[in-house]
Amino acid sequence: MSSAAGPDPSEAPEERPSLPGTLERQAPLPHMGRAELSPNATTSLAWGRQSWLEQIWNAEAVCRDCTAEAAALERELLEDYRFGRQQLVELCGHASAVAVTKAFPLPALSRKQRTVLVVCGPEQNGAVGLVCARHLRVFEYEPTIFYPTRSLDLLHRDLTTQCEKMDIPFLSYLPTEVQLINEAYGLVVDAVLGPGVEPREVGGPCTRALATLKLLSIPLVSLDIPSGWDAETGSDSEDGLRPDVLVSLAAPKRCAGRFSGRHHFVAGRFVPDDVLRKFALRLPGYTGTDCVAAL
Amino acid sequence: MSGLRALLGLGLLVAGSRLQRITTQTSACRSGPTWWGPQRLNSGVRWNSEVMASTAVKYLSQEEAQAVDQELFNEYQFSVDQLMELAGLSCATAIAKAYPPTSMSRSPPTVLVICGPGNNGGDGLVCARHLKLFGYQPTIYYPKRPNKPLFTALVTQCQKMDIPFLGEMPSEPTVIDELYELVVDAIFGFSFKGDVREPFHSILSVLKGLTVPIASIDIPSDR
Repeated sequence: MSSAAGPDPSEAPEERPSLPGTLERQAPLPHMGRAELSPNATTSLAWGRQSWLEQIWNAEAVCRDCTAEAAALERELLEDYRFGRQQLVELCGHASAVAVTKAFPLPALSRKQRTVLVVCGPEQNGAVGLVCARHLRVFEYEPTIFYPTRSLDLLHRDLTTQCEKMDIPFLSYLPTEVQLINEAYGLVVDAVLGPGVEPREVGGPCTRALATLKLLSIPLVSLDIPSGWDAETGSDSEDGLRPDVLVSLAAPKRCAGRFSGRHHFVAGRFVPDDVLRKFALRLPGYTGTDCVAAL
Repeated sequence: MSGLRALLGLGLLVAGSRLQRITTQTSACRSGPTWWGPQRLNSGVRWNSEVMASTAVKYLSQEEAQAVDQELFNEYQFSVDQLMELAGLSCATAIAKAYPPTSMSRSPPTVLVICGPGNNGGDGLVCARHLKLFGYQPTIYYPKRPNKPLFTALVTQCQKMDIPFLGEMPSEPTVIDELYELVVDAIFGFSFKGDVREPFHSILSVLKGLTVPIASIDIPSDR
């Protein structure tokens, strides 16, 4: 997928000292028609992205508490703008699916590569994952969902029904043998933990799933933040998930500075300009009717 | 409610296959799942493609459209909020494809969105908000507003984004032609029945005299 969005490694700044853990990647990705990542490309991309993010977040020299700020932005949308949670989850899930289509365009994928495992936690990140799975189905990918710890709230239940009715299979268990996952699917979407949700809050099956996903060799797309990363510092990024694609919802979280994968999208077209200004966010312009932008 | 059109607009091919299901009472053949699910077996995706390739676009009767809506709400547990958001977003996307900002005279292009008293009007409110995000300059005329949280919230979202609401409808088509490059008709949808009451009767008369393009959501409101 050499035409995928993202900075061109050949135009990146000269190689800088690597971020911790960047070079110790797993074995090269199986041939899927995409340019394989070289350690140099990863390093350069990571450095370039961090500089850009520093610009975004340090626009005002204010100490930022990322999780609280993300919550404040959401509160603004829900309380001042009277967006419904369902609206926002739908917009985020749809945009996440669009990001997947940009990173892994369908025409370039084989039948097996179109199969997507979507792993959903019990909180809002999981709800976004359920919506994402449904839109992936609409976009003619073949999603399967692993949603072991189910929320009882109505939003999650309805989203689950929609997926079930669209014949999206729900796995009853996820093998701990990662090779089985590598063989059955073309890519995995991590919708387990959002910012501020501790791994211990979501139960055994999700935690075990995350442990398995750490060993994945097929591409991994994380929604909002890589599950298990500290939203603020990105600590556990060395030991935790290392997604190839990050889709930031509404705006990038601070820990995204430690992201060293191939594509970083922001799914925030729906955020009104005044809210962006209030939180001192400057984001790259969206083109046309796109709901995601590549950073 | 333009749920179906929204889903078709977003490429939800399965809506077409669902219609097949309603009329022919068949369903996709699926074997029991192995742990990874039935992807390798007869997949709904391929079936959908075959269905869509072999059939021309089908136009729905009012009854069929209502039946599809009922299926989406009752069987699929979609909420009105969800479908309205998808409908409005895809309408804005369609309008942006048909009338890209770069092809319009003004920058940003000015659009008048006329919202009726029901769900079609709600679709129009969502559409207006997304048009603003896409770089248009919408103005809304929304004379009859249902007193329901869904609609009041949509109005708030537009107001907070500085989308003006007109106090009255210009009575001359030429005035509208002067001020706006495009009009979005979100007055009545497919479930409308009966006589057109004021102020919509007058509004529709004015729209008939326009020279600027009109984009109708779901169906042209004039019967």
